Amino acid sequence: MISRIADIQIFDQLRTHATGLEATLATLQGEVSSGKRFQTADADPLAAGEVLRTTTTLGALAQYTSSVQFGLSVLGAEDSALGDAVQIMTRAQEIATEQANGTVTASDRAAAAEEVHGLLQALTSIANTELSGRRLFGGLALDAQAPFASPDDPGYDANSAYNGSTRDFSIKVGSSASERVRISTRGDAVFGSSLVALQDLETALRTNGDIAGTIGALQQGQQDISAERTSVGVRETQLQTLQSQQASLTLNAQTRLSTLQDADLATVLSQLTQGQIALQAVLQAGAMIAQTTLAGLIKL
Amino acid sequence: MAIDLTLSIAARALTVDQAALGVIGNNIANVNTPGYSRQVPVLSAASEQGGGTFHLDGGVLLQSVQQILDPFVAQRLLAATTDAAQKNAVATQLTALVAQLDDLGDSSLTTLLGNFFAAASAVANQPQDLAARQGLLGAANALANEFNRRSALLAQLQQHADDQIVGDATQANDDLAQIAQLNADIARETAQGGQANGLRDQRRQVLADLAQKIGITTQEDPTTGEVTVASTAGPVLVAGGTVVNGIATQPDPSNPKTLSGNTLHQVVLQTPSGALVDVPAVFASGEIGGLLAVRDGNLPTASQNLDTLASALATAVNAVQTQPGALDLNGQPTTGVPLFNGSSASTLAVAITDPSKIAAALSNQPGDNQNALALADLATTVQPALGSTFAGYAASEAARLGEDAQQAQGLATASQGVLQQVQNQRDALSGVNLNEELTSLLSFQHAFQASAQVISVVNSTLEELMQIVS
Repeated sequence: MISRIADIQIFDQLRTHATGLEATLATLQGEVSSGKRFQTADADPLAAGEVLRTTTTLGALAQYTSSVQFGLSVLGAEDSALGDAVQIMTRAQEIATEQANGTVTASDRAAAAEEVHGLLQALTSIANTELSGRRLFGGLALDAQAPFASPDDPGYDANSAYNGSTRDFSIKVGSSASERVRISTRGDAVFGSSLVALQDLETALRTNGDIAGTIGALQQGQQDISAERTSVGVRETQLQTLQSQQASLTLNAQTRLSTLQDADLATVLSQLTQGQIALQAVLQAGAMIAQTTLAGLIKL
Repeated sequence: MAIDLTLSIAARALTVDQAALGVIGNNIANVNTPGYSRQVPVLSAASEQGGGTFHLDGGVLLQSVQQILDPFVAQRLLAATTDAAQKNAVATQLTALVAQLDDLGDSSLTTLLGNFFAAASAVANQPQDLAARQGLLGAANALANEFNRRSALLAQLQQHADDQIVGDATQANDDLAQIAQLNADIARETAQGGQANGLRDQRRQVLADLAQKIGITTQEDPTTGEVTVASTAGPVLVAGGTVVNGIATQPDPSNPKTLSGNTLHQVVLQTPSGALVDVPAVFASGEIGGLLAVRDGNLPTASQNLDTLASALATAVNAVQTQPGALDLNGQPTTGVPLFNGSSASTLAVAITDPSKIAAALSNQPGDNQNALALADLATTVQPALGSTFAGYAASEAARLGEDAQQAQGLATASQGVLQQVQNQRDALSGVNLNEELTSLLSFQHAFQASAQVISVVNSTLEELMQIVS
């Protein structure tokens, strides 16, 4: 039971309540201006830890998404190049089939040999394709020497034309070390048989050799290219699936982050108004108490 | 003779009323003085005076001016003051630590760790791109700088805490000297029949100040009015007019908790002979106790955990950078070319300035990114030394520090509430209420006027008598 109250108590309480309410208002104001429920870890330590982990997850997802986009651009360029390469090999097989007919003349064979040489040059050019300065079929090396020698080089031999990387180039697309996707295509593995077959066909045409005997190798070369193109397509699909998953995971993480740290503005603004009213009431009460003294009522 | 007595009684009443008005005036003047205990005039009826046929009571006497206070509440107030000061010191330090570490800011440790590994991933995608490599070095520098900043911050906070401890100890020692002096003054005034109420109020304020620094108990001698001040841990600090054990500080080179390398201070008792005695229990409470706990506990632990993270990071990154077969952009082996120097948060630094020295390859094949991928993989690898990933450890540590600060704030609020309650008890009894004082003021004013009226009536009576005689 309160028996008596000292003036110092009244004003101490007034001061305590007013400063407490002001501190609450400042916190709420901070929430409104920042849009966040808390600014420092001590306000909600568990949520703060979760915010940091979720932020890290978002950062990692952004990194994987960036890698996937890079991978898709590389694989897309490879797919296009390999498509062109398949057409070259189709044409080469057509030429071989035509020239294998015994009725063609020497001049026809010479013209065909020139066309095949052009196909050899075109395929070599495709095998040396660059994307932003990187050799698509040379280990994705940057600003590197062309991985395939030119057919016009003296002593050109298709069997040893490749001098690019023999390593796969993979990108990291997930958190574990095993979540990687190969985006490079080794030039010698995919174009080697085709280049040799084209060179053999050109030689056969120029020497009136066994033209028909090169058709099998040309078909095999085309199959090698088509097989790699299929593989590229499969990996493109894989990356597109990952891209979709990452977009979904990113959205989930952003939602989680928002739930953890975003201020509920409607509630905060309501609390802010309540706090302002309470502070006003405290100050008014203080003013009234201060006026209500005996000294104000009597004339000594 | 009776008329003379009446005059004398009225005159004495005027004096007493004047004195009482003085006491009330003093109360009103001290209405807002912290620690002031209101005083009340204690009046009593004087014994009979006069002789012969008439016997009159002797009017009023001012027996004493009594201070209104409860010694038990005063003791509880000291204990609550000590507890609140201790909890508040811890909360203030830990709140400052969390605020300055800024773990939820844009440049937090977890963000910079994420940036570093994102930069490693960018190098894995573009192993021969100097811009990507420069980006990795930039991210590594930002990360190392943040480790350095946090380490320096912890050392700085520890140094501030140590400075504050030295200041508090000096202040506490001054308080002891003041209490001894006030004891002597109070004993002297008491011996002369005074009550030394003002001096007692002063002493209570000094005791409250001392109780903020360390835990104390007091025992008042009812005869002399002197208080004996002892630590709650036992040793007597002040007895009568003498400081039995002073409070001093001395450098303590053996304290291994120092974060900056600067020698921290030890708070000790100082005997009258000047000998310094280490009694840790005396300084385990109050503001000094709180500061010591943070200086030698929370801050070194946070620093140690930061060092563990920095060391694990440097070790793991360097193991990838310098592993056998790792090659830089020029195809040169990077064995002996670490990415980070140093093995603690304060010494962590990026060891290379040439971005081509980053080992992204494990072969001389053009465009090889195997080692850069291994570096990027570290982001999600659980480190044995940490039991977690780097970012996971940093997040847990941020949450732990936040939890410590939040807990300390809760304890500080609770102990402040207890202090407020005890303070209310004390103020309810001993504080000044203006309405009460104004009522008393009216009462004594009227009494004064009435006594003056008595004198006036006696005066008239005497004048009439004189006229009859003349």
